[in-house]
Amino acid sequence: MRGVAKTLGETSASPSAEADGPPPTHIVARALLRPVWRSLPRWALMTGVVLGLLPAAASRTVSGPPDPWLYLNLLRASALAFALGLAFLLDDPARHTTATVPVRRPVRTGLRLALVVPSMAACWTAALFLEPAKGRPPVGAITLEAAAVMVVALASALVAVRHSDAGEPGIAISAGILGAFFGAALLLPERWELFVGPSDPHWDDAHRRWAGVLVVAALVGALSLAEPLRRRRTTLLAQR
Amino acid sequence: MIPTVSASGLTLRFGGTRALDDVSVRLAEGVTGLLGPNGAGKTTLLRVLATAVPADRGSFTVLGHDPGTTAGRLDVRRALGYLPQTPGFHQDFSAFEFVDYVAILKELTDRTARHREVRRVLEAVDLSDVRGKRIKRLSGGMRQRVALAAALVGDPGFLVLDEPTVGLDPEQRMRFRELIAQAGEGRTVLLSTHQTEDVAMLCHRVIVMAGGRIRFEGTPAELTDRAAGRVWSSTERDPAARAGWRTGTGAFRNVGDPPEGADLLEPTLEDGYLLTLDGETAEVAA
Repeated sequence: MRGVAKTLGETSASPSAEADGPPPTHIVARALLRPVWRSLPRWALMTGVVLGLLPAAASRTVSGPPDPWLYLNLLRASALAFALGLAFLLDDPARHTTATVPVRRPVRTGLRLALVVPSMAACWTAALFLEPAKGRPPVGAITLEAAAVMVVALASALVAVRHSDAGEPGIAISAGILGAFFGAALLLPERWELFVGPSDPHWDDAHRRWAGVLVVAALVGALSLAEPLRRRRTTLLAQR
Repeated sequence: MIPTVSASGLTLRFGGTRALDDVSVRLAEGVTGLLGPNGAGKTTLLRVLATAVPADRGSFTVLGHDPGTTAGRLDVRRALGYLPQTPGFHQDFSAFEFVDYVAILKELTDRTARHREVRRVLEAVDLSDVRGKRIKRLSGGMRQRVALAAALVGDPGFLVLDEPTVGLDPEQRMRFRELIAQAGEGRTVLLSTHQTEDVAMLCHRVIVMAGGRIRFEGTPAELTDRAAGRVWSSTERDPAARAGWRTGTGAFRNVGDPPEGADLLEPTLEDGYLLTLDGETAEVAA
């Protein structure tokens, strides 16, 4: 093999982290921007965006007087499509190859979020404004619903990465999100109902529940960002 | 032997299965082979030592760093190169881009020096000519070398290789052996493999695992010696043999406790390995 002895025998010319001390996180993050951008599951994300904009755009084609209930559900469909796209955000076929690098998982995950979440927020804004103003549901409330669904998708991806070996859990997560969404729409009892109309007396209560879903999902996601040092629960079990 | 990696009492359960059962090992500079049947716990041990998965119990140090704390784990990772059993890639990256990406993840942030380092490791694994080619267009052997280059980038002191020669043709395997032998000069390499020839040709020490435990630790010669006087030839498969198979000459090679006056043969490392497992492995088909 050409040059093997020489090249492997040479002292590495690289700036070793050991010698100079680890570089600050923002320097690493800046260097990672381009490769992380290139490694994003762009097809899945783009498909989510396109499918999310379609229902909102479809509201423009509806003839007759504005139908608030229809417009509301079209925006819910948009939010679901965006969430399904986000479920793929942490898919990483190189996960196992890069499992033991010193740059910590929160940095890599944070970069992915930073690159995608602003675009997704812009797409959601576009979806809102694609709907005719007359008949559009209250923007704050429907945005809360959309944010909750999308954060649930992201938290599910974080949990999957933390607790499984799957490199690309996006398909399974999106199937779960889809099931949970329709399950919640069809099966929740009235006092837990999430999907109500603006004229429904439970509208405010439902949005308090949406806020709860958002907070819980965000907490679960944040807790799943960490890399475990010890498997504490199994340690306790093993010691028994 | 001056240990660079030292592990004590590593235990890890998956459900009801003990993947690692009180494993203690000490590794020194050079290539150490890790042999064992499927499910022996080889990959789990490698993943624990590579800090990919934490152990339930036990502790270890790598080049003096203790991964039991966040800072210690990062220090271990800075000293580590890891080639997993099934390396994955971003298929649209070129070989250069992928190794460069891993180099950034290893905190090599100075662009000029990093690119020099990436070129060095790609040259080391003989991929300089195809470094601009997308990974999806590379052969399986080339992809495996990209993964090895990614493990080597940053000149790690401890290299963990999980079955790197699986799926390679004989020529590619020879190339890999050459690379691993070179990589073992001046650093600690732990090589998991099913190929006893890999161990015989490459390793200065060998560990045999089965059922999550260490069954043997020593030199390849010592493992081979375990079969001294316990390998014999016969015209029919000897029912007393623990394993026996017909060789290319038509005679049977038997491993176990030979009968009186048996035609003894020179043992190989594989014979020693089979006897060490002592019936835990599947029978060798006749």
